[in-house]
Amino acid sequence: MTDSLDPRVNRLRLDNIDAPFTIEEGENWQAYEVFHQEKRGAHHEHVGCVHAPDPQMALIFAKEQFGRRKKCVNLWVVRSADILAFGLEDEDMFANNMEKTYRDASGFKVMEKINKFKGKP
Amino acid sequence: MENLIKELVTKMADDALILGHRNSEWTGLGPVMEEDIAFSSMAQDKIGHAWALYRMLQDMEGGQDPDQFAFLRPASEYKCCHLTEMPIGTYEFSLMRHFLFDHAETVRYSSLLESSFLPLRQLAQKVKGELKYHTLHADAWIIQLGKGGAESHEKMQAALDSCFPLAAGIFEPGPDDGGLSDVYPGEKVLQERWMENIYPVLTKAALNLPGEVTPAYGGRYGQHTPYLHALLEEMGEVFRQDPAAAW
Amino acid sequence: MYGGGYIFEEPKRQPLSAQTPDDPEKLAAFEKRIANGEKIEPGDWMPAEYRRQLIRLIEQHAHSEIIGALPEGTWITRAPGFKRKLALIAKVQDEIGHGQLLYNAAETLGKSREAMINDLLSGKSKYSNVFNYPAETWADVTVIGFLIDAAAIVNQVANAKGSYGPYCRALERICYEESFHLKQGHDAFIELATGTPAQKAMLQDALNRWWQPIMHFFGPPDKASNHSEKLMQWKVKMASNDDMRNQFLDTYVPKIWELGLTLPDPLLKKNPETGKWEYSDPDWDLFFEVIKGNGPCNKERLDVRKWAEENGRWIRKALMRPEEMKRQTAPVA
Repeated sequence: MTDSLDPRVNRLRLDNIDAPFTIEEGENWQAYEVFHQEKRGAHHEHVGCVHAPDPQMALIFAKEQFGRRKKCVNLWVVRSADILAFGLEDEDMFANNMEKTYRDASGFKVMEKINKFKGKP
Repeated sequence: MENLIKELVTKMADDALILGHRNSEWTGLGPVMEEDIAFSSMAQDKIGHAWALYRMLQDMEGGQDPDQFAFLRPASEYKCCHLTEMPIGTYEFSLMRHFLFDHAETVRYSSLLESSFLPLRQLAQKVKGELKYHTLHADAWIIQLGKGGAESHEKMQAALDSCFPLAAGIFEPGPDDGGLSDVYPGEKVLQERWMENIYPVLTKAALNLPGEVTPAYGGRYGQHTPYLHALLEEMGEVFRQDPAAAW
Repeated sequence: MYGGGYIFEEPKRQPLSAQTPDDPEKLAAFEKRIANGEKIEPGDWMPAEYRRQLIRLIEQHAHSEIIGALPEGTWITRAPGFKRKLALIAKVQDEIGHGQLLYNAAETLGKSREAMINDLLSGKSKYSNVFNYPAETWADVTVIGFLIDAAAIVNQVANAKGSYGPYCRALERICYEESFHLKQGHDAFIELATGTPAQKAMLQDALNRWWQPIMHFFGPPDKASNHSEKLMQWKVKMASNDDMRNQFLDTYVPKIWELGLTLPDPLLKKNPETGKWEYSDPDWDLFFEVIKGNGPCNKERLDVRKWAEENGRWIRKALMRPEEMKRQTAPVA
């Protein structure tokens, strides 16, 4: 092949690269979900994932992929396969259709009662 | 005294620049994306350390602009060790070099935490965390690949065999040695501490240190391999088009 | 960075209606969700065609990032001075990081990273055409960093408002980093534009060479098709090629002209009545030739990627844990 403009590429010697090449399933290991803590005391928040062979390497990789730019004081990694979640069809479980104002601060009219007691309109 | 400190700072800066430059060549070509990113960050860290050291030199008597000094000196004025000059070669070579070099940096900067020379003491405090990550990363790879099956072990052993004599050259007794006991403990002591740190990791990785080796000396006195000349030619190619211009 | 505006039409596609035997009730609920501005998440029901188009889109975007690292990588060992050197390494690193985020997003749709990389290496899956051109001088790096990244931002900001959650989240982070790239590219561009006569000439030369690929960047002119309409309705395609191109020209042509530089198109001007930019049609035959693989750097770009994958194989395999592979291995979000 002709010379590359990139001196790095010229040093790679790409002459024998024509044979087809495929990577095998699993060569990029497995996925770990990454949780990022911005400052001490804050929640760890999900920011993405890394592919790694084990949890230790996942942390090492996550540190640079998710901690290099944004402020970060700590990271968690957990295997994606170990995450359990509800499905979309379960969304109705989360709907608050019934009257449940007893769970809200607005459900309790404290000032109204005090004002009534004090005889104000 | 100040001249000896300049020798020390120059060789540290040149080591960090040249190896950072080499390792940055892997950016975009690494074995897997996650590792590509991690290795690139550490290359940037090294170049950043070099920049800080060149600025330290600039603040000393007769100091020069860091860009001019780092990019335009003749090769004979560089004080880097031969380990840093070698081409990136294979990934196992680059990983092993990174492992041996960053452990050397770690013992050097740890000793500088108690240096009588304030700028180095302050810098040592700043780079501590970065170096901790570098050795964590390096140790994990060396151990995992050392134990990653016969082919992998063989490659790592070969990489250690070729890197080790070069790495011994990091500790070449230089012109600065001996007269700086308040500034840092000297190369001999650093080399002993370095051996104490790398040995247990290599043991875990089931890798054997080569027996008698001839350390690759000369770098601290400005004698270099042809690879450095080519590297400098390339690194300064754009800058030299007009060294007076802003880029 | 990314561009291309859904240009890689497959030659003999069936009409959408013929290949989507989707449950009409589910489809209606899905479309209502999107119309309401809700996001679709990985475990959700989605039409097969939506999944297929998204995989194609995100995968091409991911490939564009890791291939896009190569033209600028050309100058990584030669960047002049510490600031430029560090900024360029960090930028090329970010492109790899973007690829990583995007492959993960695409994996949530059911195609593995390995399969996507294989499709890139075999040429089955495409990447943005613009990266098949060489970066001949240092000035090319500044043109890419300023203008190609600017074009990519136009494209990505639009896509970030799309319907697929994981893609939008990846784009949010990517856009944040691209704005740093743009700033850094603009800074280096201005340095040359306001520098010595030789620097300015080098920049003008690079600009002349890159102008056509930049005009190609958003893809061929829009033609109304059902296909495109459906993708717009599903919020896979967020803006038309021409609209994005116009938006780019509107923001960036003045920034080029204000530096006393010229663009190699005598017809380029903004029509004061329509508010739209007018320009000579770039050579679209050339554009399709480059997509087919006949651009100046197609072979080198893929060869380098292949080299990296081939030489990295023993490392990846040494760390494989076969017993782990029986478990689900894709990201969940």
